[in-house]
Amino acid sequence: MNEFLPNFLPQLTQQLINGLSLGSIYALIAIGYTMVYGIIGMINFAHGEIYMIGAYVGVVTLTALGAASGTLPLTLVLAGALVAAIVVTAAYGWTVERVAYRPLRGGPRLVPLISAIGMSIFLQNYVQLGQGARDVSVPPLLPGNLFSVEIGGFPVSLSVTRALIIGVTVVLMIALTLYIGRSRMGRACRACSEDMGMARLLGIDTDRVISFTFVLGAALAAVGGVLIGLSIGKINPFIGFVVGVKAFTAAVLGGIGSIPGAMLGGVLLGLTETFASAFLPTEYKDVVAFSLLVLVLLFRPTGLLGKPDIEKV
Amino acid sequence: MKLRQNLRRSVLVTAVAGALAALSAAASADIRIAIAGPITGPVAQYGDMQMIGAEMAIERINAAGGIKGEKLVGVKMDDACEPKQAPTVANKVVNDGIKYVVGHLCSGATKPASAIYDENDIVMVTPAATNDAITAGGMKTVFRTIGKDSQQGPTAGRFIAATLKPKALAIIHDKQSYGQGIADQVRVTAEAAGIKPVMFEGINKGDTDFSALITKLKQAGADVIYYGGYHPELGLLLRQAAEQGLKAKWMGPEGVGNKDLNAIAGDAVEGLYVTLPQDFSSEPANAALVQAFKDKKQDPTGPFVLTSYAAVQVIADSIAAVGNDPKKVAEHLHKSSFKTPIGELAFTASGDLKDFKFVVYEWHKDASKTPAQ
Repeated sequence: MNEFLPNFLPQLTQQLINGLSLGSIYALIAIGYTMVYGIIGMINFAHGEIYMIGAYVGVVTLTALGAASGTLPLTLVLAGALVAAIVVTAAYGWTVERVAYRPLRGGPRLVPLISAIGMSIFLQNYVQLGQGARDVSVPPLLPGNLFSVEIGGFPVSLSVTRALIIGVTVVLMIALTLYIGRSRMGRACRACSEDMGMARLLGIDTDRVISFTFVLGAALAAVGGVLIGLSIGKINPFIGFVVGVKAFTAAVLGGIGSIPGAMLGGVLLGLTETFASAFLPTEYKDVVAFSLLVLVLLFRPTGLLGKPDIEKV
Repeated sequence: MKLRQNLRRSVLVTAVAGALAALSAAASADIRIAIAGPITGPVAQYGDMQMIGAEMAIERINAAGGIKGEKLVGVKMDDACEPKQAPTVANKVVNDGIKYVVGHLCSGATKPASAIYDENDIVMVTPAATNDAITAGGMKTVFRTIGKDSQQGPTAGRFIAATLKPKALAIIHDKQSYGQGIADQVRVTAEAAGIKPVMFEGINKGDTDFSALITKLKQAGADVIYYGGYHPELGLLLRQAAEQGLKAKWMGPEGVGNKDLNAIAGDAVEGLYVTLPQDFSSEPANAALVQAFKDKKQDPTGPFVLTSYAAVQVIADSIAAVGNDPKKVAEHLHKSSFKTPIGELAFTASGDLKDFKFVVYEWHKDASKTPAQ
């Protein structure tokens, strides 16, 4: 027992790092769910697949640029993969909205939902046919640790890939908050989310705003996909489903429709899962995470940062 | 009433269709063997081993004149290693009038499928499923050309106790019939040798971030870690363990031993211990067969290639001996012995091999293996 206490703190620190990097990815994807919901009140179930496509484009570009052979400098290759993934995935996000949701706008609420599920199945099978149903692996490109310190005989380390995940996410979150808060497009987004009809009357091109949210959500999910490709190193056409469900949960936890809520929800879910598997048998981590969701929703039905929705008549 | 009439009609239609299918099968004078395993999905690599092994056997038997002039035809079927998909495949085998199956591959998929084959008197020989429960149900037409978890688990457990001598043994599994089954066996053997695992936990198949578990293993001071499951999860565990600087000896069952493990984990696989069926491809008696694989640019050293070859061969030999009748073939399998590339095989009343040896290998970063010291 006397060994327990000095070991406890470093272990806690390490789990905090683990949880933050896991939660960062959830947060990046949760933003796509929450922005679309905030503006058109629909859940884009194909968003998990958009993330999966981002991961594939990233991996394919890494391979094409010869990441493993080392002919080009690694930073250039990584930047190339990120840019390619963002551009291609954003195009997918835009197309999905254009093809599957825009023609159905104004219809009953269930119709675009079914269309979203159909889109999700379509994209999964489309990638599976194009890229094969098997796992695609990425060799560890960024091995090593940013730092590794021994606290009380227990080594606490932050690997380069995990540092990259946390760092990139923090930067993107700050940039996004500033953009939504300060820019013209950001203001238009907020206006649409408050009252779409009024925004249209005031001369905002609402179709453009909606397209923009899909493109932005897809771009963030693409970054998440590339980062997962780098750190986990194994992707297949089905990874979008589980991560999509988790990110959606994160968005609901934080209050769907709220951008800071999605960030908070993602990080909270990542930390909960990590600490649950740290202090309980690992198989209980999802049980704990989803119990937390139920508890939060019991006491705050609109999520942690969600605003109570006034039913429009 | 209308419904019942419709039902009756559809039953009739199905019966007629079934009879027609049987007729057309008989007319073509071929003997069809379903090769059921994962063609897609995360463990499709093992399906490849099964397919090339079984196809090679079919090819060579046909080249030697078939079975009394009748040709063998392999019919590939994909269960993606999914317990949900396997019964669909099994029902398709039944409806197509195929009477012999080489498969399935994953224990979880084999179990539900085997019950359907047994009900319909279809002979099933699995070249890879090792879970004990598969042959424990008293089924008469279910066989395997591989050992059981209760043979493999103790081999691993004894190796851990006698050779690795852990200070703190941790056992992780994927909660599937195969992974947890073998992990339980390892635990029992280790405990019998006086080693109590410090940790025995399941992970979710398909999860990708195991960093919390790795930190916990580090905290527990685990110096030997046994993983029951397949290579995708073990690859990630090894990779993330290396990332966090967890220094331990890892060991796994034959479901982890293939090249894709290296693709995921990179150099972190070096020194992994794996229990595999003995590598029969180095036996001098198999030189011609190994050459035939190499001529087709195929790798005969995978753990399930020659067991699949043997599975086709025992079926073919039995048909040659007693005719194309699955019930008689099953009886013949139970009471005879067969000379195959994996040695002289004989089956027990439950359909298991009378004798099967697992060997501990050490896995290397170039995906080669050497017998463990």
